[in-house]
Amino acid sequence: MPEPRVELRGVRREFRGGAGVHGVEMAIAPGEIHALVGLNGAGKTTLMRLMLGMLRPDAGEVLVDGVAIADLPARAWSHVGHLVEQALAYGELDVRDNLRLAARLHGASRSDAMTMADAAIDELDLTRYAAVRTRRLSLGNRQRLGLAAAIQHHPTLLVLDEPTNALDPAGVILLREAILSRAAAGAGVLVSSHHLDEVARIADRISVMNDGRLIGALDSGSIDLERAFFALVHADDVHRRAA
Amino acid sequence: MSEIGIAVAVEARKAAASRVLPWTTGILGIGLAALTGGLLAAAAAGDERVLARLGPLAEAHGWALLVGTAAQILAAGGFGACGILIAWLYGREFADGTVAGLFALPVRRWSLAVGKLLVFLAWAMIVAVGLTVLLAVLGIASGLPASDPDGVSELVRIPVLTLLTAFLAVPAGWVASLARSVLAGIAATIVLLIVAQVCAVLGVGAWVPLVAPALWAIAPETVPWPALLGVLAVPVAFGGAIAFTWARMQLDR
Repeated sequence: MPEPRVELRGVRREFRGGAGVHGVEMAIAPGEIHALVGLNGAGKTTLMRLMLGMLRPDAGEVLVDGVAIADLPARAWSHVGHLVEQALAYGELDVRDNLRLAARLHGASRSDAMTMADAAIDELDLTRYAAVRTRRLSLGNRQRLGLAAAIQHHPTLLVLDEPTNALDPAGVILLREAILSRAAAGAGVLVSSHHLDEVARIADRISVMNDGRLIGALDSGSIDLERAFFALVHADDVHRRAA
Repeated sequence: MSEIGIAVAVEARKAAASRVLPWTTGILGIGLAALTGGLLAAAAAGDERVLARLGPLAEAHGWALLVGTAAQILAAGGFGACGILIAWLYGREFADGTVAGLFALPVRRWSLAVGKLLVFLAWAMIVAVGLTVLLAVLGIASGLPASDPDGVSELVRIPVLTLLTAFLAVPAGWVASLARSVLAGIAATIVLLIVAQVCAVLGVGAWVPLVAPALWAIAPETVPWPALLGVLAVPVAFGGAIAFTWARMQLDR
């Protein structure tokens, strides 16, 4: 059995007031696309932040390719790509320069960074905007830029938080193809979304998160995903209130 | 290329493309030249208010008067410019929302923080040379002798003061990192400026790192050189604090 690209073992991180993530177990295998769905405030972004070292857990551990992230050598992060919250895009730089800088920060040489940026511009259909300063981009094109920065170095672990935000239908299709191609090359992908139909098209597994816990899974082949989702969330709410 | 090398290359590219850097540099240069020229012209015309403000400097002549006057302005104005710039360098990542993108990278955050500091110090060195040339041109244009050896020895104080002033502004970068805010770094700059003024008024400046460079630049004989060396501890201590703050950072607020 191959080592999971990322694994969470009993991860807990609680904020004042009780919000956070409460004892999550999760593993994403190479080539797997794992979708995370939940209502606002369910803990999806916190879970992703814990995976990427943006937060340290109160308990439990996060392993990337079998190594706890506290012990992970710095160069191992060159195989990770992510877009959590805002894109790594500086307003004064144009799209091409932003992508080159992002590639350099992922350990690429100067010449490799130029090649990667050009390929990503092509893949996300940003050619018209390559020389446009990022502060002048629409929200959707800025999102495309953030996605391009996350995938251009062909990561083996890809973490995307609400990646379809602000994307037009053409952008959604490009994103879907990019995710499928990275997974086909062996990447483990975690993607959160509010669009159940969209994630059902590409996800191998759909986990439902509620109040900081993984409460179940949805069958991507199910006809009425929304009904199944709300039934799970409602049952969990009732169960917690009764406890 | 090493981790620090990549960090410096990335931060230098960002800084070079920004508007903050050229505007800060331009305002400092133009402001210094205009204020120095204006004060000297007023002093030459016998304006009593200006002569009173210049204090013992009013007795000086030639290059010593020019450099002493410029040093007074540069000590305060340069500190403000350096504080604003370093607060922006660190605080912008929070204001622009780019800080999350600086996690989960092979170039660690402490390297990026050190890269920013090195870019800031490189800028300070360029500004130090630029301001010295600017004041030399101003002096020659106002009729001071170009071949005066005293002029060179006086002018040398300008790049030294500029660099020492930049060193003293590093705590503003730490405050901006700690508070995750450009404005907090600027507020720290203003508070430090006020503290320096109060120390100077109280006459306890020579051994206070915050005040020693300005006092030395205006009246070198009043400040022993070990007191100037003490200024070097500020960027070392606060540069380390910045690197530690970035290394331990969590996106928990």
